Amino acid sequence: MNKAKAKVAKAKTKKVLNVAITYCILIVVAFIFFFPCLWLILASFSKSGSIYSFDGFFPSEYGFDAFKSLFTDTVMYNYPKWFLNTLFIAVMSCLFGTLLTILTAYCMSRFRFKSRKAMMKATLLLGMFPSFMGTIAVYLIMTQFNLINQQWGLILIYSAQAPMGYMVQKGFFDTIPYSIDEAARIDGASNFTVFVKFILPLSKPMLVYTALTSFTWPWSDFILPKMLLIDKDLYTVAVGLMSLGETEFARFAAGSIFIAIPIIVLYFCLVKYMINGMAAGAVKE
Amino acid sequence: MANLSLKHIYKVYPNGAKAVNDFNMQIEDKEFIVFVGPSGCGKSTTLRMIAGLEEITAGELKIGGTVVNGMEPKDRDIAMVFQNYALYPHMTIFENIAFGLRMRRIPDIKRDKNGNPVLDKNGNEIQIMRKYNKQELSAKVNEAAEILGITEYLKRKPKEMSGGQRQRVALGRAIVRQPKVMLLDEPLSNLDAKLRTQMRSEIVKLHKKLQTTFIYVTHDQVEAMTMGTRIVVMKDGFVKQIDTPKNLYKYPANKFVAGFIGTPQMNFFEGTLKKQGDKVVIDFKYSDAQVTVPYSMLMKTTPQYLDGSKTVYIGFRAEDVTLDEEKVAHSTAKIPVRISHTEELGTETLVYGDINMEGDGFAETSTRVIIKSAGFKEYQTDKVCEAALDINAIHLFDIDTEESILPRIPEYNYLDCKAANGNITFLGNKLALPPAIGCPDGSGELLIPVSAVRFDGPIKANVISCENINGSILVSLDINGGRLYALSDKVLDSGEINIGLDFKKLIIKIGADEIQPMPEINGLNGKFVMEKSSERVDGKIKNVPRYYLLINGTKLEAPAEVYEKMFAATSGRKVYNSAFRYEWTPYDFTLSESGIEAQVSETLDYGNEKFVKCTVGQETLYVKCGGQVNGTVYLVPDAGKVSVIESDRQIRIV
Repeated sequence: MNKAKAKVAKAKTKKVLNVAITYCILIVVAFIFFFPCLWLILASFSKSGSIYSFDGFFPSEYGFDAFKSLFTDTVMYNYPKWFLNTLFIAVMSCLFGTLLTILTAYCMSRFRFKSRKAMMKATLLLGMFPSFMGTIAVYLIMTQFNLINQQWGLILIYSAQAPMGYMVQKGFFDTIPYSIDEAARIDGASNFTVFVKFILPLSKPMLVYTALTSFTWPWSDFILPKMLLIDKDLYTVAVGLMSLGETEFARFAAGSIFIAIPIIVLYFCLVKYMINGMAAGAVKE
Repeated sequence: MANLSLKHIYKVYPNGAKAVNDFNMQIEDKEFIVFVGPSGCGKSTTLRMIAGLEEITAGELKIGGTVVNGMEPKDRDIAMVFQNYALYPHMTIFENIAFGLRMRRIPDIKRDKNGNPVLDKNGNEIQIMRKYNKQELSAKVNEAAEILGITEYLKRKPKEMSGGQRQRVALGRAIVRQPKVMLLDEPLSNLDAKLRTQMRSEIVKLHKKLQTTFIYVTHDQVEAMTMGTRIVVMKDGFVKQIDTPKNLYKYPANKFVAGFIGTPQMNFFEGTLKKQGDKVVIDFKYSDAQVTVPYSMLMKTTPQYLDGSKTVYIGFRAEDVTLDEEKVAHSTAKIPVRISHTEELGTETLVYGDINMEGDGFAETSTRVIIKSAGFKEYQTDKVCEAALDINAIHLFDIDTEESILPRIPEYNYLDCKAANGNITFLGNKLALPPAIGCPDGSGELLIPVSAVRFDGPIKANVISCENINGSILVSLDINGGRLYALSDKVLDSGEINIGLDFKKLIIKIGADEIQPMPEINGLNGKFVMEKSSERVDGKIKNVPRYYLLINGTKLEAPAEVYEKMFAATSGRKVYNSAFRYEWTPYDFTLSESGIEAQVSETLDYGNEKFVKCTVGQETLYVKCGGQVNGTVYLVPDAGKVSVIESDRQIRIV
């Protein structure tokens, strides 16, 4: 009788110990992840601009100076203009990129043509090379087209790059049963009608996902805008912030925080919609 | 509201796999056709080819008299119900049903806002195609919903409905289009058993109400038997038998159909048949069971199986054998059965037994027997009882081909004969043989195909009976006590009639010699070429392409129907690289000054018809001719009557 009780007690302590250790590890890891963000947020509230006036890790004085000068001092560093540039480029890339990605994914999923398998393999292979490798080529091509120092050049590159990641969308389209296409076709729908009236309404979560990824990539990209944009007025936030001097670290931090806020808000709103969409748009299996 | 015609339909995939092999069928209006067969037999593929969702590799499909091979599904005026319903999940039920109607345009005259017709310059009404307006749409959808009893669900979405209701919506979506043909692809497979039986009768009721042609695919033979007016049994892409449920049950043409239709499955045994005088002894293998029956009951059996040496499959259904003591006492066809176990079904008992006394009745060997008995009867295990067979319901099949050797319409009449001096004597009648048949003297066997019997001639016969078997009339004749079967196209009255023979179809076996019938198909290998010729078309000189069949160096112009089908089956350019076999009957040739060169080897005189046997390269041809012909002749076949077979994939194109 006692032996059984001892066994139960032992199991209980074991469980508690497990939970405790797990939580400890999680807290440590979370701290490691979160600390840089925390530090950046604190740095953005520092009163003096430079990083050298910090008291050890953290700023010595706190104030809203950095945020104020971000928006008011637009002579050298025109932050609001950069913000609007970034917004424009991201929204346009999002629109065109989503359109191209969805169409590519639909074709790869629904149509059978001779070079389909070859194309899929080629895309997969090419996608393995880092995009950085192509920057010189991109620069030369853009020079030929006179698209250097123009925002539409950037939008063109981002929209064209987006469909390389069509795999996820294609996978989603594959889960929509082909018999819906067939039933619609027998009812008299053309390919385009099937796409617009049936596939798109059923893929709302995937549309949101595609739009989100096509939006965030141009939003925070640095290499391409740095290479293609020359005028300070056309800079995106990423390039603009890097052009700040060494002494302006607080402003840099403030700019980084500010640019991240819209993305965070967007994610929070749309994630709920994506999850709801996936459960509600149930298709008969 | 239309009939269908499927001629030589093939479905071959690029890797060479044949999903559907030479499907031929005529479907009349208002029929309920069921395609049934095990998984992978090609029934769904055939249905999808009819719908237009799969491309037809070769063959011709006609709906309502129009060839629809290349037509889009929406133009074929068909409606389809899918196995997984395929309802549009994001639309309400009303929208689901209405979608097909929204896509349509109906002819009407142009009207203005108040509904008055708008006239053109000459004061005539203008014909336009317009969409359905809201009232018409609602009326149609509500009508369909009422027929199926789903009116109260019209505002719901598919995910809020049960399986049976969803299936009804799918049916509603199909019937609202008022199609010519309704296609159903295993619609009841996803439903539970009780709902399935209910929906089955609803679909049959729907068919009676709509009076449209229904084509239904299923793997469940019970559904096929209860619903269809005619059933197509398929296996591995081949059609095994097409017939009414009653005929499939009573007269299966091969072992597959016999075993597929009917529960419990037919009992099959291996055995031999030996004809002894006017009796036949049926000896069961792996068992001591032996039954002796009068020959008159097995008269249509192909005689080569009655010599006792060939093993055959013997089949009889569970209800055609009985353990009832009274019936057994009066029967002459008894076999001992060792009882193994019973299955109680309520209305009846299935008794499992073995005709092999050492067997255990469980294994599916050729000695297990299932017998239907009255409900709740007790049987002791391991007890040996006597079972009586109903010989009228016995089925016999060849052990290799599995075809029935007890056909309803026998292929040949097998008669003993004697030949002497160019005359042949059989059944007490002496007939002069035509010069074409060089028969040696002696006695032997004469095989007369049932189609070779003519209803005019020198032989007197008595008509005993006429059987209408699927449209053909099988006439049983008595000639001097012997039996002769003949095919007729109309029913004959009992009494005396005159009989003659079509000599070119006879087979005569005397000693080691065998006189073969004249072949009815002449085949030549050849290719297909295209040549451009300058011709005057509408006043201009153009290069018009002309298509020819190239046989042995001779070009034969191909008419449009022929070359269009060849292009369709070989997908375009490949037709010039493919080898074909062209076939004609002996009646399709004319002898002329130029054409395919042939060497005459002999002239065959069959009395009322004369044929020439000639060689073209390696092939031997038989051509009808007027009189005596010698030497080299030039044959001109009728290109419109050609039958084309693509040699590589063995597909009959025309």
